[in-house]
Amino acid sequence: MNILELKGVSFTYPSGTEALKEVSFAVEEGSAVALLGANGAGKSTLLDLLLGIHANGAITLCGRPLASYGRKEIGRLIALVPQSEQFNFSFTLLDYTLFGRSPYLSQMQSPTALDAQIAWEALSEVGLAGFEERSITSLSGGEHQLLLLARAIAQQSRILLLDEPTSALDPANRKRTLSLLQHLHKRGKTLFFSTHDVNFAAELATHVVMLKGGRLLAAGAKEEVVNTAMLTTLYGTEMRVRTIDGQTLMY
Amino acid sequence: MSSAEGYTRKIKRRRRALVAMIATTLLFALLSLFFGRYPKPGFFIPLDGRSNALMHSILVNVRLPRIALALLAGSMLSASGYAFQMLFSNPLVEPGFLGVSQGSAFGAALMIVLGVSSTVTVQISATIFGLFALTASYVLARHFRFGGWLLRLVLSGIAVSAIFSSALAVVKLVAEPTKDLQDITFWMMGGLWNASWGQLLSILPIVLLCEAIIITERWKLNLLSLGEKTSFSVGINPKRDRTILLIVATVGTTLVISVTGLIGWVGLITPHLARKLFGSESSFSLPASMVVGSFFLLVSDTIGRTLLPTEIPIGLVTSLFGAVIFIIILSLKHQEGKA
Repeated sequence: MNILELKGVSFTYPSGTEALKEVSFAVEEGSAVALLGANGAGKSTLLDLLLGIHANGAITLCGRPLASYGRKEIGRLIALVPQSEQFNFSFTLLDYTLFGRSPYLSQMQSPTALDAQIAWEALSEVGLAGFEERSITSLSGGEHQLLLLARAIAQQSRILLLDEPTSALDPANRKRTLSLLQHLHKRGKTLFFSTHDVNFAAELATHVVMLKGGRLLAAGAKEEVVNTAMLTTLYGTEMRVRTIDGQTLMY
Repeated sequence: MSSAEGYTRKIKRRRRALVAMIATTLLFALLSLFFGRYPKPGFFIPLDGRSNALMHSILVNVRLPRIALALLAGSMLSASGYAFQMLFSNPLVEPGFLGVSQGSAFGAALMIVLGVSSTVTVQISATIFGLFALTASYVLARHFRFGGWLLRLVLSGIAVSAIFSSALAVVKLVAEPTKDLQDITFWMMGGLWNASWGQLLSILPIVLLCEAIIITERWKLNLLSLGEKTSFSVGINPKRDRTILLIVATVGTTLVISVTGLIGWVGLITPHLARKLFGSESSFSLPASMVVGSFFLLVSDTIGRTLLPTEIPIGLVTSLFGAVIFIIILSLKHQEGKA
């Protein structure tokens, strides 16, 4: 089943910049989709559109136009892991993870013990159990990224949107994030992530969407779409694709 | 111990602490009723209060509305300060920093000079100019081409405040010196000596409504302090919610200061104190900040009206205490935020 469908999506900013033009593709439930493209290709705009930040009638979520959903309804279906988050207040790790429960809270309601349990499980899943009462301002870069992921896991959505999940990570944390996301994917979560880390995409993705200059260059299963010629066209520089010990490497 | 149990215990502990703070504040409010300069300076409980008509009138018509106004003003200024800090994701912001206070001061002074200084006209004018100053600061900050968002906001707030200060100075120049100028000067220093039931009731319904809205939306305040995309992704509409809460906080503040005059520092420091006690998450620290604000204003006013034979304007007391507490907070090791 297609959980997300885009049919001829175009978007122009009020300043007149045309960010996306006639982009169409579908995302199957349970797939892991890498969104690839050079800087300024329209990846961030596309993620914003999928979140519903800019209204667009050409996007369908679970068979219904995205624009027909309420904000909280979207929050229960799609969670975002932003590239980073600036923390100006000393929330605890548990506080911040509980923010992911917001789409389930009604007006006036604070999180319940059950929400706390779900948040705690999300923190355990990313390896931050035991640090619930620590301040988020004391985290290292790697822990910061894991916390963003925990908050999105606590949201219990069907789709996880990730904006450059590995851009600020050292190799160990990158590996940890990769295995966490692989685990989530195995459990049936649909992943949709933008990245410049093509090898990360090769390791995690089942499908690839390529954007170039706001237009769709290619979309499909990784094996069908990713090849030397396509990547070279995508980034405008010579790229190679090799398979070593069953693993695809791009450079 | 599971996390759920720990969480429930934490909530219960915080609820008990909040109730204790409210009880302490109400008890102090009751005691402060008997602080004053009649029939002798200091603390005096008139056991035959009912038989002494003057004492009875002082208690019911002078001290009681004044105490109620201090509680109301303290909680509203704190709620607004707290909301501003979360909405701008900056722990060093309060309505005064974004030109609201100076804007309202100008609005109030203008009405006094124009000779239409009824309670209602001063309130309306102060509110309109307060909102205008806030909008001007916000729009200017968006147009500035220097520094990050928070720095731009603070800078535009300084500029807008300065413009309204100069405009206010002009109004004072042309003010009639024996009455209007005095009125403006006393208003600028902030004071509750004019408090009456009439004044209190004129702002009570809307201020209570503003407080109720901020309290109802306190979970959203947490989310609005996060990045725009994150807050959007957890199911709120940040632009709309931020605008509504800003207007509510500004209207509440300007209504309060249209009656009390300028009372600085309360909205800036009480959220910090509340966060130290209840953590940064708003569920408890927002109401706690309001209780601390009520208590702070009540103590400041009680000191202001009993310490010296002449009354010290409350704005001066809060500024003195506020600045000292502010210095201590900024010198502490674990402070919040990055400028």
